[in-house]
Amino acid sequence: MDLENQTRILELVEKYGKDNVVVVLGGAEAEASGLAAETVTTGDPTFAGPLTGVQLELPVYHIFELKDIIPDDVWDEQISMMEMVLDVDHIIKEVTTYRERTNGG
Amino acid sequence: MTNPVIKGASYCLIHAPDMVLTNGTTITMERAKHPESQFLKDVQEQLRSYEDALAYPPNQCYIGNITPEELGSIPQPWYEHPLEPNRTGTFGEIFPLDEFIALMKISDSFNLVFLETTFANQTAEKLTNHPLFSKEELAIVRQGHTNEQITKLLNSEMAVPLKYNGEVVGCIKQAHESDANLSANVIFENLVAKASASLGLKRLIWQTKIDPAEIDYIIETSEEACGDMNQRGGGNFAKAIGEVCGCVSATGSDTRSFCAGPAHGIINAAALVKSGIYKNVVVVGGGASAKLGMNSRDHVKKNVPVLEDMLGTFAILISENDNRSPIIRTDAVGRHTIGTGSSPQAVTTSLVTDPLKEAGLSIKDIDKYSVEMQNPEITVPAGAGDVPLANFKMIAALGVKQGVLERSELNDFVVKHGMKGWAPTQGHIPSGVPYIGFARKAILKGEMKRAMIIGKGSLFLARMTNLFDGISFIIEPNPGTNDDRTSPRERRRTWNIGITLQGSEHGMEEVLRGAELAQKISTDIRVLCIGPKNNSDLETIEAATEEEQRTTMERLLETGQLDACVTMHYNFPLGVTTIGRVCAPGTGSEMLIASTTGMAAANRIDAMIKNAILGISTAKALGISKPTVGILNVDGARAAERALLDLQVSGYEIHWAESIREGGGLIMRGNDILRGACQVLVTDSLTGNILVKMLSSLTTGGNYETLGYGYGPGVGEDYDKIVCIISRASGAPVIANAIEYAASMAKANLHGIVQSELTRAARSGLVLSSSQTEDLSPPPKPVDEEISGIDVLEIEEAAQLLWKSGIYAETGMGCTGPVVLVANEDALEARKLLLDKGFIL
Repeated sequence: MDLENQTRILELVEKYGKDNVVVVLGGAEAEASGLAAETVTTGDPTFAGPLTGVQLELPVYHIFELKDIIPDDVWDEQISMMEMVLDVDHIIKEVTTYRERTNGG
Repeated sequence: MTNPVIKGASYCLIHAPDMVLTNGTTITMERAKHPESQFLKDVQEQLRSYEDALAYPPNQCYIGNITPEELGSIPQPWYEHPLEPNRTGTFGEIFPLDEFIALMKISDSFNLVFLETTFANQTAEKLTNHPLFSKEELAIVRQGHTNEQITKLLNSEMAVPLKYNGEVVGCIKQAHESDANLSANVIFENLVAKASASLGLKRLIWQTKIDPAEIDYIIETSEEACGDMNQRGGGNFAKAIGEVCGCVSATGSDTRSFCAGPAHGIINAAALVKSGIYKNVVVVGGGASAKLGMNSRDHVKKNVPVLEDMLGTFAILISENDNRSPIIRTDAVGRHTIGTGSSPQAVTTSLVTDPLKEAGLSIKDIDKYSVEMQNPEITVPAGAGDVPLANFKMIAALGVKQGVLERSELNDFVVKHGMKGWAPTQGHIPSGVPYIGFARKAILKGEMKRAMIIGKGSLFLARMTNLFDGISFIIEPNPGTNDDRTSPRERRRTWNIGITLQGSEHGMEEVLRGAELAQKISTDIRVLCIGPKNNSDLETIEAATEEEQRTTMERLLETGQLDACVTMHYNFPLGVTTIGRVCAPGTGSEMLIASTTGMAAANRIDAMIKNAILGISTAKALGISKPTVGILNVDGARAAERALLDLQVSGYEIHWAESIREGGGLIMRGNDILRGACQVLVTDSLTGNILVKMLSSLTTGGNYETLGYGYGPGVGEDYDKIVCIISRASGAPVIANAIEYAASMAKANLHGIVQSELTRAARSGLVLSSSQTEDLSPPPKPVDEEISGIDVLEIEEAAQLLWKSGIYAETGMGCTGPVVLVANEDALEARKLLLDKGFIL
């Protein structure tokens, strides 16, 4: 996850508190989405950004996991095409792994 | 209006492993933060050799040796399936770093690049027989410096090193002591962009055989910015690149939109050609040193070679319709507008389905889509996925959403209309444009009907907007019909041609009669008279004396109010000579006499050699693409013949005429002149002058010249005006023809053609001894006093004598022979000096 985004997430957490922040990812690729999920849960695995060693343990979801709570017309206009294109199952599996690892531990 | 066509495309790569380490931002940032990191050590280990880079299949695809389809059939990883390591391909070549550093030196206009002497000489030697480089350019490379000088610049003057095989072989100096935009690093990056783009353009010129002087406009589309602290990114790379490549008639500018820059550039070029503003527009993009090794951290981690060691460059020529080359459709351009929105489907709709709808086509009607053609072997290990594949899937998915495709057809569509990516991750380089060369070739062969080129850009990188950008266009076969070949510019343009009135032996009325005749015949010229008030309907700019006529003419030519002028008795500078145009009495064929007044060079043989090239240039300006050349059997003909044959062997194109006499040969006798056996007759200027006089007054008994076009325009390397000469005995028909001759030279951009012919000749080894005169010239001042009577062979020596004595003098050629020109106040002393030394009697 790029350093600017890490900074912004950290600022939001400091301002609103951990319990009031949910991270929604829109990454197109499973591995990168997994890395982003890891960054906001157990800390930046690349040891480059401000979240290095910071365990925010934020709830993190990929947009594909939230289909049920998004109005159909918005989903159709914004997401439905990419749903056909991307490897949805793999992306969800990666993100879920990190989210559940945090919840479990 | 004319359809813009894709006349050619070149694609080159440069293998730059040392620059990965010295200039790639991933590595330079790491070095600044963690100078001892393991990654910095590992990355060096995983750099490739030049041979490995040559053999890498995507690189062979980039230069056109294999098609994208063939690349797709090679198993991955491609770096484990090397091909034959060919340096050159259909579209370009892969340069090694040392030769590219030499090109950086050639591209350096401000003496900021310093090369170590041994390296400089060795590299110049390697490039000796390279078709893209002239002797003059290699002489620039050879200007080496000692190791001590380079070490001093590096240690104490903020220079940055140029490395090859890990060794320092030179350096680049900062261009300003405190301006961050002119720091050595920025200059380095910009010179990489300039030099690599120059390579692309040189190659394009060589491949398409276009005369560089015929290129009207250059659009540079890289992602670099040149300027100083007051205008960072003010430009202009385009003209800097054109200058390196001899595009003397071109102007240009830089177009930016991150990776989408090239696609914008091509649409702009198509529009400029379609509107008739320009005929030949080049879109060019050089390489980005900052992006070298961008994903090397991931490559090193995953044990992949550092594949981002290539600088990429391309150049594409968009020209007016030739009824053959594939066209760019200007009626259906896709564009992501400010209001489009950023969801992937909104973007894809705006770039793909909207323009197709406008053209009445479906997504299946495009044979191949060229999107961001990044090599997936570079992007997948870095977590960015297979970019082209994702794009093709998006297009297919949109087709499914719009009901054009069944969901089950999605994968088949991707395979059929998509391709594997092959371009290096150099930002703008992969963005749609790498496929244009292949598309052009396939369409010309009839193997393909349509391709769509799509460029996309991430504008957020500059932190000015979160908007996305994208633009697309369709390439199709040329329908072969050209509803209107004439561009609006040609239709509307009126050419202003001057004529000086005084000086004729037949009186001013005769000159006016010729001028009126010319005006009556040609509708696209406006004849302007320079001289005394008169009763003609033609516009007259008043000038009382012959001297005033001359200064008025020079002023009007200088300001562009006149495109060309016809006059009697004009002293051209040395090096400029006139190319006469006559009709052969035996056949009525036209023949150019090279030359008829002035002097191309002080040495007789040199002058005749140069006359041949200047005669060919003038013939080309008249639209004769392959003029036949003969040499008149005068003193020096054999020596000139030998030199011109040598030039021809070295690559300068000459088409020889054949004498009508038994035995033939390229040497022309009097008989050949009467028959017009050649199109360009090479001779010394005094003989040429006699020939024009005789052939022009052949039917009148001598005193009245009625045939032909006169003594022709003055041509020479640094002379950019068009002044056509007639004689004091020329009659109205010759004067009218001379005006028409002058107009056709202006229309054809004679100077540009002369420059490019002389450049070609120089590339083939033309060296004239007269160009090596010692420069002792005192400060220049206006010269208006003629001293005649000096032998033509001694004219330069005479001028040098005057210079040595502190008298500013110029040499010229009057109608009666060579003259030395000096200022009025120096005339007396100059005459005395020349008399003392025996130059005049």
